[in-house]
Amino acid sequence: MPDLETTFYILGLIVVIAPVLLMSILGITSLVDRKLSEAATGRWCKCTSAIGFTAAASILVLMLAYDTRHVVIDLGNWVHIDESATEHEHYHFVFKFVFDRLSVPFLLLSYVLCGTIAAFAVKYMHRERGYNRFFTLYSIFVVGMVVASLAGTIETLFTGWELVGLSSALLVAFFHERPAPVRNGLRVWVVYRISDASLLIAAVVMHHLHGEGDFGRLLGTDPAHPWPEGHATASGGNALAVGLLLIFAAAGKSALVPFSGWLPRAMEGPTPSSAIFYGALSVHLGAYLLLRVSPLLEAVPILAIVVIALGLTTAAFAYLIGSVQTDIKSALTFASLAQVGIIVTEIGVGAFIPFVWYVALVHLLGHACLRTLQFVRAPSLLQDYKTLENAIGGRLPQHAGRSMRLLPESLRTWMYRFALERGYLDAFLNEYIVGPFVALFHKLDELERRWTARLAGSDRNTANPDVEQST
Amino acid sequence: MLELECPTIMKYCESIESRRSPLERLKDAIKHAAHLLPAQGPITVFIHHNTLHAFEQEPFFEAVERGGAVFRCEPYLSEQRFREALARGRIRFADVRSCLRVSLGRSGEERIGDLCSRFALRVAMLEHPVRSGSDAEISWFLMETEALRRATPSASAATRANLIAETRRWVMRDLRGSHAGKHRSARGSESRLGWFPSLLERFHGTEIEHWTEKSWEAFALESLWQICLAGVEQVPVQRPAEAEVNRHRDLLLRVSGTDTDLRVNDILIRFCAAYLDQGVSHWPLPNRDQGFFLSFCSLYRRSQASPDTWMKGLPAELARLQDQQISPLASALESLAELGVPEFEWETYLSQSFLALRGWAGMIHEVEMRADRVAQPIREGSLVEFVAIRLLLERFALRHDARATIGYDGPLDQLRERLRALSPPAAATSREQRAFLVFQIAQVLGWVPEQLFHLLPEDWISLVQEIESFGDIPQRRIFQQAYEKRFRDQTLDALALHERVSLKPGLAPRFQVITCLDEREESFRRHIEEVAPDAQTFGVAGFFAMAMYYRGATDAHYVPLCPIVITPKHWVEEQAEESEEQEHRRQRRFQRVIGTATHQAHVGSRSAAFGAVLASTMGVLASIPLVARILFPRLTSRVRGSLGRIMQRKSATHLKMERVPTCEPGSENGHLGFTLEEMTTNAERLLRDIGLTHTFSRLVLAIGHGSFSLNNPHKSAYDCGACGGSPGAPNARTAALVLNDPRVRERLATRGIMIPSQTHFVGGFHNTCDDSVTLFDAGKVPPTHREEFERVRRELVACCERNAHERCRRFMSAPLTLTFAEAKQHVEGRSEDLAQTRPELGHATNAICHVGRRSRTRGLFFDRRNFLTSYDPTQDDENGTILARTMAAIFPVCGGINLEYYFSHVDSPGYGCGTKLPHNIASLLGVMDGAASDLRTGLPWQMTEIHEPVRLMIICETTPEIMFKVLAGNPMGQAMTENGWVQLAVQCPETNAIRLFRDGAFEFYEPQAESLPRAATSVDWYRGWREHLEFAEIGS
Repeated sequence: MPDLETTFYILGLIVVIAPVLLMSILGITSLVDRKLSEAATGRWCKCTSAIGFTAAASILVLMLAYDTRHVVIDLGNWVHIDESATEHEHYHFVFKFVFDRLSVPFLLLSYVLCGTIAAFAVKYMHRERGYNRFFTLYSIFVVGMVVASLAGTIETLFTGWELVGLSSALLVAFFHERPAPVRNGLRVWVVYRISDASLLIAAVVMHHLHGEGDFGRLLGTDPAHPWPEGHATASGGNALAVGLLLIFAAAGKSALVPFSGWLPRAMEGPTPSSAIFYGALSVHLGAYLLLRVSPLLEAVPILAIVVIALGLTTAAFAYLIGSVQTDIKSALTFASLAQVGIIVTEIGVGAFIPFVWYVALVHLLGHACLRTLQFVRAPSLLQDYKTLENAIGGRLPQHAGRSMRLLPESLRTWMYRFALERGYLDAFLNEYIVGPFVALFHKLDELERRWTARLAGSDRNTANPDVEQST
Repeated sequence: MLELECPTIMKYCESIESRRSPLERLKDAIKHAAHLLPAQGPITVFIHHNTLHAFEQEPFFEAVERGGAVFRCEPYLSEQRFREALARGRIRFADVRSCLRVSLGRSGEERIGDLCSRFALRVAMLEHPVRSGSDAEISWFLMETEALRRATPSASAATRANLIAETRRWVMRDLRGSHAGKHRSARGSESRLGWFPSLLERFHGTEIEHWTEKSWEAFALESLWQICLAGVEQVPVQRPAEAEVNRHRDLLLRVSGTDTDLRVNDILIRFCAAYLDQGVSHWPLPNRDQGFFLSFCSLYRRSQASPDTWMKGLPAELARLQDQQISPLASALESLAELGVPEFEWETYLSQSFLALRGWAGMIHEVEMRADRVAQPIREGSLVEFVAIRLLLERFALRHDARATIGYDGPLDQLRERLRALSPPAAATSREQRAFLVFQIAQVLGWVPEQLFHLLPEDWISLVQEIESFGDIPQRRIFQQAYEKRFRDQTLDALALHERVSLKPGLAPRFQVITCLDEREESFRRHIEEVAPDAQTFGVAGFFAMAMYYRGATDAHYVPLCPIVITPKHWVEEQAEESEEQEHRRQRRFQRVIGTATHQAHVGSRSAAFGAVLASTMGVLASIPLVARILFPRLTSRVRGSLGRIMQRKSATHLKMERVPTCEPGSENGHLGFTLEEMTTNAERLLRDIGLTHTFSRLVLAIGHGSFSLNNPHKSAYDCGACGGSPGAPNARTAALVLNDPRVRERLATRGIMIPSQTHFVGGFHNTCDDSVTLFDAGKVPPTHREEFERVRRELVACCERNAHERCRRFMSAPLTLTFAEAKQHVEGRSEDLAQTRPELGHATNAICHVGRRSRTRGLFFDRRNFLTSYDPTQDDENGTILARTMAAIFPVCGGINLEYYFSHVDSPGYGCGTKLPHNIASLLGVMDGAASDLRTGLPWQMTEIHEPVRLMIICETTPEIMFKVLAGNPMGQAMTENGWVQLAVQCPETNAIRLFRDGAFEFYEPQAESLPRAATSVDWYRGWREHLEFAEIGS
């Protein structure tokens, strides 16, 4: 009978290795062009999900049974540069996974939803050309989710975070024979990059402060003070900087204002990926990050206030926009976003009343399940409406913006347009960021052509005609 | 006379034309342009129709090619698909040749460049794929592959040997030593043989005596290539005829790569969806009732809002339009003038503009025309208003993008000239590309270098032109004809060779079943006859001659149940039995409470505050149905079903279907139903249509059909086409009740149809998805018939299992080893599965329509491909009155289904709506791809995947004379037949002789086969096969 620590260690490893195994199997077979059959892919997906889930559930049971609230699985230093040995500053890179009251529920949620959606997709994607590609990306996503939810250091988190982002963007662009999904996939990717950059900077700042990216060190959580009881060690300007960077990263991932524009665009992928990634898991990852660093919010109240403001704005914004959406997936997307906004608000409030953090966590879990169910049932909307009409015995009552009727007409029209144009967020992005950016690169491109032409000694200007025209 | 009159008439017309105002003329142009829009209405009532209905007045092959060019879609399957069909024997070379011969006629014998006949040239091109590519690809192919060293594998051994031998002879005899300079045969040969010395040198010409066979082969190919190159040089370069580009947008896209439609569509998709929304959004579009134009104006006229620079100036323009009360039509006219589109171009320009967002424009058109079919109708004239707004937005987008990309700031009416001047000329076919074509064909046809060398320039011209004129599409047209011919021959052979199976005359069958003519019921009927050989089956359009609006006891609305070409005049309602009325009312109240609560929860889950409460308290519980429904769909549905039954018992009902003659028909109580006289007429029509006027069995079942599945926006497309995309159960039930009515029987007797008193009719419903049959009013079966009835019921259960089994062979995810019972379970699971994108395969196997007595087809395995319509020619008059009635439904319903499947299959993303996976229900009217796209019309790939795109083959058991009379009275059918949108044949009622309609006449068909394959049962024939199967005789 192995002792408790070894058991935890083994189970923890299984939790992490199961999806990695799936990713390797699907990835390697794709790389060597020996793609698995549909049935084999499905079996592997179900099998690894079941193993991972069982291990995670066992950890939960053991933790409850032995009243352990903080289990750390340390995979050791992968890079270690000692200050004394070299002239460089001290640096180490640790893979560390933490099981606590926050990560275990989220982990179980990830496994339940991913496993169910895998079972769904095995049938749903039947005979689709990109079947293998879908499941390869899916496996990357699962690895990302598991790693990110268990991350005990910011490097670990970043790894998972990036895998989730990459697979999500590629799944948005799943139908790459049409231009719109590719365009929208690129857009999602760009927004992710921007917020990821912020996470990366946060990591650098943390290393700068502590010489390591350990959350435990930053947040003061350890086996004696498990989440959410930690007390952040940092304070003042540094903590504020790290906090703001992390909030920025979370906002991008969770499509909080002002990043909300990408969320409806992510609906280009097949229904199961929209359901799981944007309805359920990916969109909550930002909120999860905020929960993870919640002791920091407690330590720096400004951060908590920023989080509350961000959450409330997003909730109001998403509710307004959601109420004018005329297609079911966009309507659900913005409904999702409104809930994420409220969850984020709850996290902010938790800095003052720590109990609310649990509320936020339960809210997050419940919302993810509910929304996934709604998303996978979205194509049944017509039948559902018919059933409801039959039950009610007439047309469904339309809640013609009852609350809106109080507003003056011009404001109402303005708000409707604001909502219909999704808060002009995309237009702002196009006009003030994308436009100038593209224009700059056009100019650079033109310069480069001129220079290469000159260097090549040919007088012929090889600049392409349209660029030439515009100068 | 005629010549004299024509100019006067035209002048007259012109004068009328000029007298009409430009606004009226523009309105007409919009109306005409709108013909090209997809005619698909709200997806909840899916009516199959010919996707290219706008081209129906043209011959099929011309129409699909022209339509393909207009819609930028494929007219036929891809060449690769046809070649695969050739490889597996689905298309035969013999058929290819015969189709080619027919299409060429006499011109096939013409010699091309004195090398071969046109026919031989085309055959060679069809039989051996002639490849082409860019110059770079061709030179890579020549340099890096064996192309210049080994003759193409398509060439036969003899041709190859001949090529080598002839080249050798030519070189040794004529060229070697003498060299090009002394050659006298053709003028200019000096330069044309310029390649020879260097080639000879490269092959070490001095050792020519020691050349191996291999060297000679390479040398022959090299010289062939050089001669081809030199030869095509003499053919004038021809730029491909450019497709006329009218829209500024297309020109700008070509010149700068910027697509202004992206901007315009982005706004319009959102706005159209909001305008048409039937209840997805909680907050409807403000001023929606004022119409498209005005609501757009009032929404977008506020200037402070958008940061989009391209829309700068739009608010001011909208304010001007609205304040000066300029009509949408006048605004459109202004826009056209500003864009510089002259009147003769209006229609083309507008139709292209429409096609840029065809789905939404088409839906506006449909909803506007059929306001009665939607919950939230829209104002008349919405399509014109749409055009006005679209043109307005195009103007702003063009002005902005023209400035941003090409720096053009001038008036828009000169933009097109400017862009045309800038646009690069279309690339002509290069010398290498042409030479490569000739090079490949020469090897296949055994043209040797010397032969080609002696060709005159005019021969080269005619050769190259001939090859180029038989390009990709003409080739595929021949393949399509051969593809259809093979199938047609098989079908006609089956009918010509089949021995008629008739039951013992005079003896009534044990029971009779009337089903829909739907091709999915073909297998169901066959299995009934296999399970109960003493039974008889009939097929009729699935509304059972009972056209009506129907409302079920628990339904909210009336739905029309009849083919789309008929507008019902009667209303029928299902009501609870009087004894249970109170119970029923209580249940309805209960349902209403539950329904309202569910709706509140549904709406609430999308609101902020209630959603938060719901998610945090109940959210986690949602994982239970989520996991259960996805992992165990069949079990979950059973549990749900039994829970539902515990909560509320289904009350017994009857149909309110009789009306006193003095009352006008209507939807209110007292006006419901048919009069006795109307019932009798309908009943007579039903019985006469199928020829069931004597020898009634003791039990007659009328079984309608429909399909139940989950997560399927296209569900209605699986339902009964003859009931306008709804399940046909109420019609079957009504028909049975009418026929059981003794008063109706009395009246029928006076009209010559004697239904014996011991005959009892039972209505039923066949769910084609989970293969279950429900029988209605079973309690009313008289005790004398009980036992027989129970036996029939058991037999039907067995038939359903067998039918499910036969269907399962086409589902790739169902193992071929299933037993009957397992197959039934499999299809039940499919129907309840949220993740299932192919709950059933719909009409994917439709291909044939047989109109005649069942004895012609009984015992034939038709692989679920045949719309089986019962019709007894011996009971019809010499004008084909009954046949005319039947055919009036066949052409639009079966023809529509067939053509919709044809187009959705040959170009799934273009004519169909592509794959189902990213579909997103918009406005409760249709589906989009992802969050914002055009509304996708047509059928999804998952429905049409296994379809074989062949035109419907209609075979009627009648004489050509009667058929001509029927066609003369059916303009649509006549047009479809004469233009080849359907294929038509008649089979002589007395003999087996079949005559096929071709070019306005019926020609005798000569059976190609001698006998049909035979199997003891259907299972023996289909077991182990996944693909379409040949037709076979069933029974020992």
